[in-house]
Amino acid sequence: MSVRRLLVTVVPPAMFGVLFVVAWEATVKGFDLKPYFLPAPSAIWDAFVDNPGLIRSAAFVSGSNALVGLVAGTLLGVAASFLLMRFNLLNELVSPLAVALNAIPIVVLVAVFQNMYASTSEIPRRLMVTLIVFFIVLTNVAKGLRQVHATHLELMRSYAASPTMILLKTRIPNALPYLFTALKIAAPTAVITAFVSEYFGGRQNGLGYFIPSNFANSKTAVAWAYVIGACLLGLAFYLVSIALEAITTHRRGSVPGGATA
Amino acid sequence: MNTRRNTRTITRAVGALAALALVATACGGDDDDATPAATDPPAEDTSDDMSDDMSDDMSDDMSDDMAMECETPREASLQLQWFTQAQFAGYYAAVDQGFYENHCLDVTIVEGGLDIVPQTQLANGDVDFALAWVPKALASREAGANIVNIAQIFQRSGTLQVSFADAGITSPADFAGKKIGNWGFGNEYEVFAALGAEGLDPASDVELVGQNFDMVALLEGDIDAAEAMTYNEYAQVLEAINPDTGELYTPDDFNVISYEDVGVGMLQDAIWADADKLANDEDYRSLAVSFVAASMEGWMYCRDNVQECADIVLAAGPTLGASHQLWQTNEVNKLIWPSENGIGYIDPAAWDRTVEIAQGTPNLEGATVLTAPPTEGAYTNEIVEEAWTHIQTGDDTTGSGFTAIEVTLNEGGN
Repeated sequence: MSVRRLLVTVVPPAMFGVLFVVAWEATVKGFDLKPYFLPAPSAIWDAFVDNPGLIRSAAFVSGSNALVGLVAGTLLGVAASFLLMRFNLLNELVSPLAVALNAIPIVVLVAVFQNMYASTSEIPRRLMVTLIVFFIVLTNVAKGLRQVHATHLELMRSYAASPTMILLKTRIPNALPYLFTALKIAAPTAVITAFVSEYFGGRQNGLGYFIPSNFANSKTAVAWAYVIGACLLGLAFYLVSIALEAITTHRRGSVPGGATA
Repeated sequence: MNTRRNTRTITRAVGALAALALVATACGGDDDDATPAATDPPAEDTSDDMSDDMSDDMSDDMSDDMAMECETPREASLQLQWFTQAQFAGYYAAVDQGFYENHCLDVTIVEGGLDIVPQTQLANGDVDFALAWVPKALASREAGANIVNIAQIFQRSGTLQVSFADAGITSPADFAGKKIGNWGFGNEYEVFAALGAEGLDPASDVELVGQNFDMVALLEGDIDAAEAMTYNEYAQVLEAINPDTGELYTPDDFNVISYEDVGVGMLQDAIWADADKLANDEDYRSLAVSFVAASMEGWMYCRDNVQECADIVLAAGPTLGASHQLWQTNEVNKLIWPSENGIGYIDPAAWDRTVEIAQGTPNLEGATVLTAPPTEGAYTNEIVEEAWTHIQTGDDTTGSGFTAIEVTLNEGGN
């Protein structure tokens, strides 16, 4: 990417961000908004700088829950999508069930999981993330495995390729971009799910506890400082998933439509 | 390939949305389903009918002049800290018995919830009065909410730490190395104060566990000691079946530490008002006096009519049932009565102790509730003292002869 291009992509959103923060600060100061209502960005920044250790350790707790769930959910999702592709009957049986399960609100499932495990356990939170990630990966990868170009399949059949060869040479390569699309959606969602599951009891150690707790105690600047930590964590997950995609697709040399990255 | 580009755009958009949602969830807005099943709104219709009758009778002999003046009752709203339950019996009784009407008030009781911060609802002008624990309200005040405590209804703290008798936790010193449940959200200060008083570091000497607002974690053995209110969660364990005996648990099965007895009790339910309006708006001030007077009448009624009062709350649709509400009314009475200085009076000594603990107790994050003493005007006894002179239903504002009743709890609070 050339320097000029970098400037064009980076400067406008950065400018917008700066303006937004300045306008926020000016609004708080101008209208004399009280901290319990809305703290000024400068106060939030002070709180952020004052509590680096706490925010880092809270982010580590939430982040590791999200990561464990993300990895487990992805592995399970990929495995399940292979099964669904192989056995059509299974697909017809399981897919509606999957959709129905996915429609159950997080809060209900967290409560169910928490009843199953000790209240000091991180497992319910990780299970929750796993479940959410599982469905995202499952639906996307299953689609990628199935929606193969008819011409590709015909070509493989004309070569008398075995089902295994078709899977390896046609279906899996086709499904890879779908997997990374799924990961890009799943990564930030995993973080959010980890926060939300912390909200309903358990050990008081993650961002999902400290944010609402500080709001409830009218320490809004501190709460927002944790929100910054939460944003950074979500962003980190998102960036890693993008980077992962870029590396993998480059190595395969299969970036379509030229150098768009 | 355009489809790919589109996918990319869509995922970017999803990413952005997710980031937004991240902030939104982080702000703690997404909790509606987490809270206990929503209860029905208070059955206002029936109570209105009843109070109409009552007020007609009472106004004849008690407040002729007031009744004459009262053509259109003044509206006032009260924000509760929690769902409908007997913790707020006095206010429901004042509605039901027409005490508010006698003072020419039309009071709306606004139910609370897990994430509702009553004192900021008040500071934002959404309600006229709010109930809040003193330390929480003072924290909001320090953050710029201009509110003032005008009546200290609960004279003592009702917070307990409850553990099974065989765990041997009989004082806060025994918390060391144990899993200590607490509710967070500003309800945990006494736990931290007790730890601090014993020289225990909340971050390393105990394992603090966020407790749902029930006692499941204790009963299932996940935690060693659970935070409980005398009037609510403690009753919940006594309403549960002991699997060993097949009968309800009894007080003998538990060790109970009262934070009030340990010496770290902090002032709890108080009526807070908008300080600006109280100072500058004569109408609001007289509204406050009438509201406090009628609310006191409600609490005096509940002191003398425990069963009736519990029934009034029951009719308003609480989550838990009849024996639980009767227990709760009785326990709340113990927190209010006797009020040595008169109901609602803010005892400077108890106030100072609350402030001292709030300033001196670091929590899990090393922060204290308050960073400085509250500024001038955080509480006033003027409204209470004036309200006493407006009470129409008797003159026993101290309840010095108060004796609690014995309540038998049934399974599940029914």
